[in-house]
Amino acid sequence: MDRSYFDRLDVDGALAESLQRTGLSRAAFLAAALGGSTALLGGLTTEAAGAQGDDLPSNDVFILNYALVLEYLQAAFYTEAERMGALRDKTARAAQVVGSVERAHVEAFKEVLGRKAVKRPTFDFQGATENPKAFLKTAVAFEDLAVAAYKGQATRIKSKPALMAALAIHSVEARHAAWMRYLFGVNPARSAFDQPQSRPEVTRVVRSTNFITGPPSTKAERSPRYMG
Amino acid sequence: MSPACRVARARPVAAQAGVGAAVGLAAVLLWPVLESSPRQKVLPPPAASVLDVPPPERLGRDHHVSVWSTVRRPARARSAPESGAPVVARVEDRTPEGTDNTLLILDRTHDARGRVWVRARLPALPSGSTGWLPRAAIGGYRLVRTHLVVDLDRRSATLLRNGHPVVRAHVGVGQPRWPTPRGRFYIRNKLVRYRSSFYGPLAFGTSARSRVLTDWPGGGFVGIHGTDRPDLIPGQISHGCIRMRNHDITRLGGLMPVGTPLTIR
Repeated sequence: MDRSYFDRLDVDGALAESLQRTGLSRAAFLAAALGGSTALLGGLTTEAAGAQGDDLPSNDVFILNYALVLEYLQAAFYTEAERMGALRDKTARAAQVVGSVERAHVEAFKEVLGRKAVKRPTFDFQGATENPKAFLKTAVAFEDLAVAAYKGQATRIKSKPALMAALAIHSVEARHAAWMRYLFGVNPARSAFDQPQSRPEVTRVVRSTNFITGPPSTKAERSPRYMG
Repeated sequence: MSPACRVARARPVAAQAGVGAAVGLAAVLLWPVLESSPRQKVLPPPAASVLDVPPPERLGRDHHVSVWSTVRRPARARSAPESGAPVVARVEDRTPEGTDNTLLILDRTHDARGRVWVRARLPALPSGSTGWLPRAAIGGYRLVRTHLVVDLDRRSATLLRNGHPVVRAHVGVGQPRWPTPRGRFYIRNKLVRYRSSFYGPLAFGTSARSRVLTDWPGGGFVGIHGTDRPDLIPGQISHGCIRMRNHDITRLGGLMPVGTPLTIR
Protein backbone atom coordinates (compact mmCIF):
# COMPACT_ATOMS: atom_id res chain seq x y z
CA MET A 1 0.00 0.00 0.00
CA ASP A 2 2.00 2.94 -1.25
CA ARG A 3 0.39 5.76 0.65
CA SER A 4 1.85 8.77 2.33
CA TYR A 5 2.86 8.29 5.88
CA PHE A 6 -0.02 10.07 7.54
CA ASP A 7 -2.60 8.50 5.31
CA ARG A 8 -1.39 5.24 6.67
CA LEU A 9 -1.22 6.35 10.24
CA ASP A 10 -4.14 8.53 11.06
CA VAL A 11 -7.08 6.75 9.62
CA ASP A 12 -6.43 4.07 7.13
CA GLY A 13 -3.42 2.99 9.10
CA ALA A 14 -5.81 0.82 11.00
CA LEU A 15 -6.82 -0.88 7.82
CA ALA A 16 -3.26 -1.21 6.64
CA GLU A 17 -2.32 -2.82 9.92
CA SER A 18 -5.25 -5.13 9.69
CA LEU A 19 -4.37 -6.13 6.18
CA GLN A 20 -0.80 -6.79 7.17
CA ARG A 21 -1.89 -8.95 10.05
CA THR A 22 -4.40 -10.87 8.01
CA GLY A 23 -2.00 -11.23 5.13
CA LEU A 24 -4.54 -9.79 2.69
CA SER A 25 -3.52 -7.51 -0.10
CA ARG A 26 -5.57 -4.39 -0.65
CA ALA A 27 -6.95 -5.85 -3.84
CA ALA A 28 -7.88 -9.08 -2.13
CA PHE A 29 -9.53 -7.18 0.66
CA LEU A 30 -11.60 -5.17 -1.77
CA ALA A 31 -12.51 -8.23 -3.74
CA ALA A 32 -13.70 -9.87 -0.55
CA ALA A 33 -15.55 -6.78 0.56
CA LEU A 34 -17.24 -6.19 -2.73
CA GLY A 35 -17.91 -9.83 -3.31
CA GLY A 36 -19.75 -9.92 -0.02
CA SER A 37 -22.30 -7.50 -1.37
CA THR A 38 -22.74 -7.36 -5.09
CA ALA A 39 -24.86 -4.29 -4.69
CA LEU A 40 -22.12 -2.58 -2.79
CA LEU A 41 -20.07 -1.24 -5.64
CA GLY A 42 -20.06 -4.54 -7.46
CA GLY A 43 -21.65 -3.05 -10.55
CA LEU A 44 -19.88 0.19 -10.02
CA THR A 45 -16.44 -1.34 -10.05
CA THR A 46 -17.34 -3.26 -13.17
CA GLU A 47 -18.36 -0.08 -14.91
CA ALA A 48 -15.44 1.85 -13.65
CA ALA A 49 -12.90 -0.91 -14.12
CA GLY A 50 -9.73 0.44 -15.59
CA ALA A 51 -10.96 3.98 -15.58
CA GLN A 52 -11.42 4.32 -11.82
CA GLY A 53 -13.94 7.10 -11.72
CA ASP A 54 -13.34 8.38 -15.22
CA ASP A 55 -16.48 6.73 -16.59
CA LEU A 56 -18.75 8.01 -13.87
CA PRO A 57 -20.85 11.08 -14.54
CA SER A 58 -19.23 14.12 -12.98
CA ASN A 59 -22.33 14.59 -10.88
CA ASP A 60 -21.89 11.14 -9.38
CA VAL A 61 -18.17 11.64 -8.83
CA PHE A 62 -19.06 14.74 -6.87
CA ILE A 63 -21.64 12.87 -4.78
CA LEU A 64 -19.39 9.88 -4.15
CA ASN A 65 -16.62 12.23 -3.01
CA TYR A 66 -19.08 13.90 -0.69
CA ALA A 67 -19.93 10.47 0.70
CA LEU A 68 -16.23 9.65 0.94
CA VAL A 69 -15.62 12.67 3.17
CA LEU A 70 -18.37 11.49 5.52
CA GLU A 71 -16.86 8.03 5.54
CA TYR A 72 -13.39 9.46 6.22
CA LEU A 73 -14.87 11.32 9.16
CA GLN A 74 -16.57 8.27 10.61
CA ALA A 75 -13.67 5.92 10.00
CA ALA A 76 -11.25 8.34 11.65
CA PHE A 77 -13.55 8.75 14.61
CA TYR A 78 -13.98 5.04 15.34
CA THR A 79 -10.35 4.26 14.62
CA GLU A 80 -9.14 6.89 17.06
CA ALA A 81 -11.62 5.64 19.66
CA GLU A 82 -10.25 2.14 19.29
CA ARG A 83 -6.69 3.36 19.52
CA MET A 84 -7.35 5.42 22.63
CA GLY A 85 -8.80 2.44 24.44
CA ALA A 86 -11.16 4.53 26.59
CA LEU A 87 -14.24 2.49 25.68
CA ARG A 88 -15.39 -0.64 27.46
CA ASP A 89 -17.57 -3.69 26.91
CA LYS A 90 -20.44 -3.31 24.43
CA THR A 91 -19.42 0.17 23.38
CA ALA A 92 -15.88 -0.94 22.65
CA ARG A 93 -17.16 -3.88 20.64
CA ALA A 94 -19.53 -1.65 18.69
CA ALA A 95 -16.74 0.80 17.91
CA GLN A 96 -14.58 -2.04 16.65
CA VAL A 97 -17.24 -3.48 14.35
CA VAL A 98 -18.56 -0.18 13.06
CA GLY A 99 -15.03 1.15 12.65
CA SER A 100 -14.01 -1.77 10.45
CA VAL A 101 -17.07 -1.24 8.27
CA GLU A 102 -16.48 2.49 7.92
CA ARG A 103 -12.86 1.85 6.96
CA ALA A 104 -14.08 -0.61 4.36
CA HIS A 105 -16.44 2.04 2.99
CA VAL A 106 -13.51 4.43 2.69
CA GLU A 107 -11.44 1.86 0.83
CA ALA A 108 -14.28 0.98 -1.49
CA PHE A 109 -15.01 4.60 -2.42
CA LYS A 110 -11.33 5.33 -2.95
CA GLU A 111 -11.00 2.32 -5.18
CA VAL A 112 -14.00 3.32 -7.27
CA LEU A 113 -13.07 6.98 -7.55
CA GLY A 114 -9.42 6.27 -8.18
CA ARG A 115 -7.47 9.43 -8.87
CA LYS A 116 -10.65 11.47 -8.56
CA ALA A 117 -11.01 10.58 -4.89
CA VAL A 118 -10.59 13.52 -2.56
CA LYS A 119 -7.74 13.31 -0.11
CA ARG A 120 -8.37 12.48 3.47
CA PRO A 121 -8.81 15.59 5.62
CA THR A 122 -7.15 15.90 9.00
CA PHE A 123 -9.26 15.56 12.12
CA ASP A 124 -9.36 16.74 15.67
CA PHE A 125 -12.08 15.05 17.68
CA GLN A 126 -11.37 17.22 20.70
CA GLY A 127 -11.59 14.43 23.22
CA ALA A 128 -14.82 12.89 21.92
CA THR A 129 -12.99 9.60 21.40
CA GLU A 130 -11.64 9.58 24.94
CA ASN A 131 -14.84 9.64 26.97
CA PRO A 132 -17.51 6.91 26.57
CA LYS A 133 -20.45 9.28 26.94
CA ALA A 134 -19.03 11.84 24.53
CA PHE A 135 -18.15 9.03 22.15
CA LEU A 136 -21.68 7.65 22.02
CA LYS A 137 -23.26 11.06 21.72
CA THR A 138 -21.00 11.87 18.79
CA ALA A 139 -21.47 8.44 17.22
CA VAL A 140 -25.26 8.82 17.30
CA ALA A 141 -24.95 12.23 15.68
CA PHE A 142 -22.57 10.92 13.00
CA GLU A 143 -24.66 7.88 12.13
CA ASP A 144 -27.94 9.79 12.05
CA LEU A 145 -26.26 12.37 9.85
CA ALA A 146 -24.84 9.75 7.50
CA VAL A 147 -28.24 8.10 7.09
CA ALA A 148 -29.87 11.44 6.29
CA ALA A 149 -27.02 12.42 3.97
CA TYR A 150 -27.20 9.25 1.88
CA LYS A 151 -30.96 9.56 1.71
CA GLY A 152 -30.59 13.16 0.62
CA GLN A 153 -28.48 12.15 -2.38
CA ALA A 154 -30.53 9.17 -3.54
CA THR A 155 -32.63 11.12 -6.01
CA ARG A 156 -29.62 13.05 -7.31
CA ILE A 157 -27.45 10.09 -8.32
CA LYS A 158 -27.57 9.47 -12.07
CA SER A 159 -25.86 6.11 -12.59
CA LYS A 160 -27.61 3.01 -11.37
CA PRO A 161 -24.49 1.30 -9.98
CA ALA A 162 -23.65 4.38 -7.95
CA LEU A 163 -27.20 4.49 -6.64
CA MET A 164 -27.06 0.81 -5.70
CA ALA A 165 -23.81 1.40 -3.88
CA ALA A 166 -25.24 4.34 -1.99
CA LEU A 167 -28.33 2.38 -1.02
CA ALA A 168 -26.25 -0.56 0.13
CA ILE A 169 -24.23 1.69 2.40
CA HIS A 170 -27.26 3.71 3.50
CA SER A 171 -28.92 0.72 5.13
CA VAL A 172 -25.68 -0.22 6.88
CA GLU A 173 -25.42 3.31 8.27
CA ALA A 174 -29.01 2.98 9.48
CA ARG A 175 -28.08 -0.19 11.35
CA HIS A 176 -25.14 1.62 12.90
CA ALA A 177 -27.40 4.50 13.90
CA ALA A 178 -29.80 2.13 15.63
CA TRP A 179 -26.94 0.34 17.39
CA MET A 180 -25.36 3.52 18.69
CA ARG A 181 -28.73 4.93 19.72
CA TYR A 182 -29.48 1.76 21.66
CA LEU A 183 -26.11 1.95 23.45
CA PHE A 184 -26.63 5.63 24.22
CA GLY A 185 -30.04 4.87 25.68
CA VAL A 186 -32.24 6.64 23.17
CA ASN A 187 -34.94 5.27 20.92
CA PRO A 188 -33.26 3.46 17.98
CA ALA A 189 -36.24 4.12 15.68
CA ARG A 190 -38.03 7.18 16.86
CA SER A 191 -40.19 7.94 13.87
CA ALA A 192 -42.07 6.18 11.09
CA PHE A 193 -40.39 8.18 8.35
CA ASP A 194 -36.79 9.40 8.21
CA GLN A 195 -36.08 12.75 6.65
CA PRO A 196 -33.24 13.36 4.19
CA GLN A 197 -30.74 16.14 4.63
CA SER A 198 -29.28 18.15 1.79
CA ARG A 199 -25.58 18.53 1.23
CA PRO A 200 -25.51 22.14 2.49
CA GLU A 201 -27.33 21.07 5.63
CA VAL A 202 -24.95 18.19 6.26
CA THR A 203 -21.94 20.35 5.50
CA ARG A 204 -23.13 22.96 7.96
CA VAL A 205 -23.51 20.35 10.70
CA VAL A 206 -20.09 18.83 10.02
CA ARG A 207 -18.47 22.25 9.93
CA SER A 208 -20.07 23.22 13.23
CA THR A 209 -18.27 20.36 14.98
CA ASN A 210 -14.84 21.70 14.00
CA PHE A 211 -13.74 18.08 13.78
CA ILE A 212 -12.29 18.58 10.31
CA THR A 213 -9.16 20.69 10.53
CA GLY A 214 -6.37 21.78 8.28
CA PRO A 215 -3.09 19.91 8.44
CA PRO A 216 -0.70 21.25 11.06
CA SER A 217 1.86 23.74 9.86
CA THR A 218 5.16 22.19 10.93
CA LYS A 219 7.28 23.09 7.93
CA ALA A 220 8.59 26.55 7.10
CA GLU A 221 10.89 28.24 4.62
CA ARG A 222 12.79 30.27 7.16
CA SER A 223 16.38 30.48 8.29
CA PRO A 224 17.05 28.39 11.38
CA ARG A 225 17.75 30.12 14.68
CA TYR A 226 19.07 26.98 16.29
CA MET A 227 22.42 27.17 18.04
CA GLY A 228 24.34 25.74 15.13
CA MET B 1 -32.93 -29.31 24.59
CA SER B 2 -33.02 -25.53 24.36
CA PRO B 3 -36.22 -23.60 25.10
CA ALA B 4 -36.42 -22.61 21.45
CA CYS B 5 -36.29 -26.23 20.38
CA ARG B 6 -38.95 -27.13 22.88
CA VAL B 7 -41.15 -24.39 21.43
CA ALA B 8 -40.45 -25.58 17.92
CA ARG B 9 -41.27 -29.20 18.77
CA ALA B 10 -44.47 -28.11 20.48
CA ARG B 11 -45.77 -26.53 17.30
CA PRO B 12 -46.70 -29.81 15.51
CA VAL B 13 -48.73 -30.76 18.56
CA ALA B 14 -50.58 -27.49 18.28
CA ALA B 15 -51.15 -28.19 14.61
CA GLN B 16 -52.69 -31.56 15.45
CA ALA B 17 -54.97 -29.69 17.78
CA GLY B 18 -56.29 -27.80 14.80
CA VAL B 19 -54.32 -24.55 14.87
CA GLY B 20 -53.47 -25.08 11.24
CA ALA B 21 -51.25 -26.92 8.87
CA ALA B 22 -49.37 -23.72 8.14
CA VAL B 23 -47.95 -23.61 11.65
CA GLY B 24 -46.81 -27.17 11.35
CA LEU B 25 -45.24 -26.47 8.01
CA ALA B 26 -43.39 -23.50 9.47
CA ALA B 27 -42.07 -25.65 12.29
CA VAL B 28 -40.87 -28.26 9.84
CA LEU B 29 -39.15 -25.61 7.76
CA LEU B 30 -37.56 -24.01 10.78
CA TRP B 31 -36.50 -27.27 12.34
CA PRO B 32 -33.12 -27.66 10.59
CA VAL B 33 -32.31 -24.05 11.34
CA LEU B 34 -33.10 -24.38 15.02
CA GLU B 35 -31.27 -27.66 15.28
CA SER B 36 -28.17 -26.35 13.57
CA SER B 37 -27.87 -23.12 15.56
CA PRO B 38 -28.26 -23.79 19.26
CA ARG B 39 -26.87 -20.35 20.18
CA GLN B 40 -29.31 -18.50 17.93
CA LYS B 41 -32.62 -19.37 19.49
CA VAL B 42 -34.89 -18.16 16.72
CA LEU B 43 -32.94 -16.78 13.79
CA PRO B 44 -30.03 -18.35 11.95
CA PRO B 45 -26.68 -16.70 12.53
CA PRO B 46 -25.80 -13.98 10.04
CA ALA B 47 -23.37 -14.79 7.30
CA ALA B 48 -19.77 -14.17 8.25
CA SER B 49 -18.86 -10.60 7.39
CA VAL B 50 -16.13 -10.16 4.86
CA LEU B 51 -15.54 -6.75 6.38
CA ASP B 52 -14.71 -8.04 9.82
CA VAL B 53 -11.07 -6.98 9.77
CA PRO B 54 -9.10 -6.87 13.02
CA PRO B 55 -9.14 -3.60 14.95
CA PRO B 56 -6.30 -1.08 14.85
CA GLU B 57 -3.48 -1.50 17.29
CA ARG B 58 -4.31 0.12 20.60
CA LEU B 59 -1.94 2.86 21.67
CA GLY B 60 0.45 1.93 24.42
CA ARG B 61 0.69 -1.67 23.33
CA ASP B 62 3.04 -0.96 20.47
CA HIS B 63 6.26 0.54 21.77
CA HIS B 64 7.19 1.77 18.32
CA VAL B 65 4.20 4.09 18.00
CA SER B 66 4.30 7.60 19.45
CA VAL B 67 1.59 10.23 19.57
CA TRP B 68 2.05 13.94 18.99
CA SER B 69 -0.20 16.91 18.65
CA THR B 70 -0.17 20.65 18.10
CA VAL B 71 -0.92 23.33 20.67
CA ARG B 72 -4.30 24.82 19.76
CA ARG B 73 -4.07 27.77 22.12
CA PRO B 74 -1.43 28.97 24.57
CA ALA B 75 -1.76 27.06 27.81
CA ARG B 76 -0.13 26.37 31.13
CA ALA B 77 1.42 22.98 31.62
CA ARG B 78 0.96 21.77 35.18
CA SER B 79 2.68 19.28 37.41
CA ALA B 80 -0.53 17.25 37.87
CA PRO B 81 -3.81 16.85 35.95
CA GLU B 82 -5.68 19.42 38.04
CA SER B 83 -6.52 23.05 37.42
CA GLY B 84 -4.90 24.08 40.70
CA ALA B 85 -1.65 22.16 40.28
CA PRO B 86 1.59 24.17 40.04
CA VAL B 87 2.50 25.49 36.61
CA VAL B 88 5.67 23.96 35.19
CA ALA B 89 5.77 25.86 31.90
CA ARG B 90 3.75 28.07 29.62
CA VAL B 91 3.25 26.50 26.22
CA GLU B 92 2.79 28.74 23.19
CA ASP B 93 0.87 27.82 20.07
CA ARG B 94 3.70 28.86 17.72
CA THR B 95 7.40 28.11 17.60
CA PRO B 96 10.04 30.83 17.18
CA GLU B 97 10.22 29.73 13.54
CA GLY B 98 6.53 30.47 13.01
CA THR B 99 5.35 26.86 12.75
CA ASP B 100 2.62 25.27 14.88
CA ASN B 101 4.03 24.31 18.23
CA THR B 102 4.03 20.56 18.78
CA LEU B 103 4.02 18.32 21.81
CA LEU B 104 4.81 14.67 22.27
CA ILE B 105 1.89 13.06 24.10
CA LEU B 106 2.90 10.60 26.79
CA ASP B 107 -0.22 9.85 28.80
CA ARG B 108 -3.89 10.71 29.32
CA THR B 109 -6.21 10.74 32.29
CA HIS B 110 -9.49 12.22 33.56
CA ASP B 111 -9.84 14.58 36.49
CA ALA B 112 -12.62 14.46 39.09
CA ARG B 113 -14.89 16.48 36.77
CA GLY B 114 -14.37 14.08 33.91
CA ARG B 115 -12.16 16.44 31.92
CA VAL B 116 -9.43 14.81 29.87
CA TRP B 117 -5.82 15.83 30.55
CA VAL B 118 -2.76 14.86 28.59
CA ARG B 119 0.81 14.57 29.83
CA ALA B 120 3.21 15.90 27.25
CA ARG B 121 6.90 16.30 26.75
CA LEU B 122 7.51 20.03 26.57
CA PRO B 123 9.91 22.25 24.60
CA ALA B 124 10.82 23.91 27.87
CA LEU B 125 13.64 24.16 30.36
CA PRO B 126 14.76 22.08 32.09
CA SER B 127 15.30 20.29 28.82
CA GLY B 128 13.11 17.23 28.40
CA SER B 129 10.59 18.27 31.05
CA THR B 130 6.98 17.12 30.98
CA GLY B 131 3.68 18.59 32.14
CA TRP B 132 -0.10 18.10 32.10
CA LEU B 133 -2.35 20.15 29.81
CA PRO B 134 -6.13 20.12 29.38
CA ARG B 135 -7.09 18.13 26.30
CA ALA B 136 -8.91 21.20 25.00
CA ALA B 137 -5.58 23.01 24.62
CA ILE B 138 -4.24 20.66 21.97
CA GLY B 139 -5.32 19.61 18.51
CA GLY B 140 -5.85 16.24 16.89
CA TYR B 141 -3.64 13.26 17.58
CA ARG B 142 -1.05 12.13 15.08
CA LEU B 143 1.07 9.04 15.14
CA VAL B 144 4.64 8.26 14.18
CA ARG B 145 6.50 4.99 14.04
CA THR B 146 9.97 6.49 13.90
CA HIS B 147 12.52 7.23 16.60
CA LEU B 148 15.85 9.02 16.25
CA VAL B 149 18.64 7.96 18.58
CA VAL B 150 21.77 10.10 18.82
CA ASP B 151 24.81 8.65 20.58
CA LEU B 152 27.03 11.49 21.69
CA ASP B 153 29.98 9.27 22.55
CA ARG B 154 29.91 7.44 19.24
CA ARG B 155 28.99 10.63 17.31
CA SER B 156 26.29 8.74 15.49
CA ALA B 157 22.60 9.07 14.72
CA THR B 158 20.26 6.18 13.94
CA LEU B 159 16.73 6.56 12.67
CA LEU B 160 14.53 3.63 13.61
CA ARG B 161 11.21 2.79 11.99
CA ASN B 162 9.11 0.19 13.74
CA GLY B 163 12.23 -0.49 15.78
CA HIS B 164 14.43 -1.22 12.79
CA PRO B 165 17.29 1.07 11.70
CA VAL B 166 16.66 2.78 8.38
CA VAL B 167 19.32 5.52 8.46
CA ARG B 168 22.71 5.56 10.18
CA ALA B 169 25.00 8.56 9.99
CA HIS B 170 27.96 10.18 11.67
CA VAL B 171 27.22 13.45 13.40
CA GLY B 172 28.91 16.46 14.85
CA VAL B 173 27.83 17.29 18.40
CA GLY B 174 28.35 20.06 20.92
CA GLN B 175 31.78 21.12 22.06
CA PRO B 176 32.56 20.39 25.72
CA ARG B 177 31.79 24.00 26.73
CA TRP B 178 28.44 23.90 24.83
CA PRO B 179 27.36 20.30 25.32
CA THR B 180 24.45 18.78 23.47
CA PRO B 181 21.92 17.91 26.21
CA ARG B 182 21.22 14.25 26.88
CA GLY B 183 17.68 13.05 27.44
CA ARG B 184 14.37 12.41 25.71
CA PHE B 185 13.01 14.97 23.29
CA TYR B 186 11.16 15.10 19.97
CA ILE B 187 11.29 16.67 16.53
CA ARG B 188 9.32 19.89 16.56
CA ASN B 189 9.48 21.31 13.04
CA LYS B 190 11.30 21.23 9.74
CA LEU B 191 12.88 24.17 7.90
CA VAL B 192 13.70 24.11 4.20
CA ARG B 193 14.74 26.41 1.35
CA TYR B 194 16.56 28.92 3.48
CA ARG B 195 19.71 30.68 2.37
CA SER B 196 22.36 29.52 4.77
CA SER B 197 25.05 27.12 3.74
CA PHE B 198 26.07 26.92 7.40
CA TYR B 199 22.89 24.93 8.18
CA GLY B 200 22.98 22.85 4.99
CA PRO B 201 19.90 22.10 2.86
CA LEU B 202 17.41 21.47 5.66
CA ALA B 203 17.09 21.61 9.39
CA PHE B 204 14.91 19.95 11.99
CA GLY B 205 13.99 21.78 15.18
CA THR B 206 13.90 19.74 18.36
CA SER B 207 12.44 20.25 21.82
CA ALA B 208 15.93 19.98 23.35
CA ARG B 209 17.41 23.17 24.75
CA SER B 210 20.90 24.09 25.78
CA ARG B 211 21.57 24.46 29.48
CA VAL B 212 24.36 26.87 28.67
CA LEU B 213 23.28 29.06 25.76
CA THR B 214 19.90 30.01 27.21
CA ASP B 215 20.09 33.55 25.81
CA TRP B 216 20.58 32.35 22.23
CA PRO B 217 18.09 33.97 19.83
CA GLY B 218 15.01 31.79 19.66
CA GLY B 219 15.64 30.22 23.06
CA GLY B 220 18.72 28.08 22.53
CA PHE B 221 17.02 25.14 20.86
CA VAL B 222 19.01 22.22 19.54
CA GLY B 223 18.63 21.71 15.82
CA ILE B 224 19.55 18.81 13.58
CA HIS B 225 20.87 20.19 10.32
CA GLY B 226 23.36 19.96 7.49
CA THR B 227 26.69 21.71 7.29
CA ASP B 228 29.18 23.53 5.09
CA ARG B 229 32.05 21.75 6.85
CA PRO B 230 31.50 18.04 6.28
CA ASP B 231 35.19 17.45 6.95
CA LEU B 232 34.59 18.13 10.66
CA ILE B 233 32.09 15.27 11.02
CA PRO B 234 32.21 13.23 13.21
CA GLY B 235 33.41 15.41 16.05
CA GLN B 236 32.62 17.75 18.90
CA ILE B 237 32.21 20.83 16.78
CA SER B 238 28.91 22.62 17.41
CA HIS B 239 27.26 24.99 19.85
CA GLY B 240 25.03 22.10 20.87
CA CYS B 241 23.24 21.31 17.62
CA ILE B 242 23.57 17.99 15.85
CA ARG B 243 25.22 18.44 12.49
CA MET B 244 25.11 15.94 9.65
CA ARG B 245 26.65 15.73 6.24
CA ASN B 246 24.25 17.17 3.71
CA HIS B 247 23.43 13.90 1.99
CA ASP B 248 22.64 12.35 5.37
CA ILE B 249 20.33 15.17 6.49
CA THR B 250 18.63 15.04 3.09
CA ARG B 251 18.02 11.33 3.54
CA LEU B 252 16.69 11.95 7.03
CA GLY B 253 14.45 14.69 5.67
CA GLY B 254 12.57 12.20 3.55
CA LEU B 255 12.14 9.62 6.26
CA MET B 256 11.71 11.39 9.58
CA PRO B 257 8.35 13.09 10.21
CA VAL B 258 7.77 15.86 12.71
CA GLY B 259 6.74 14.37 16.04
CA THR B 260 9.44 11.70 15.96
CA PRO B 261 10.81 11.03 19.46
CA LEU B 262 14.48 11.90 19.88
CA THR B 263 16.75 10.21 22.38
CA ILE B 264 20.15 11.76 22.97
CA ARG B 265 22.36 9.54 25.07
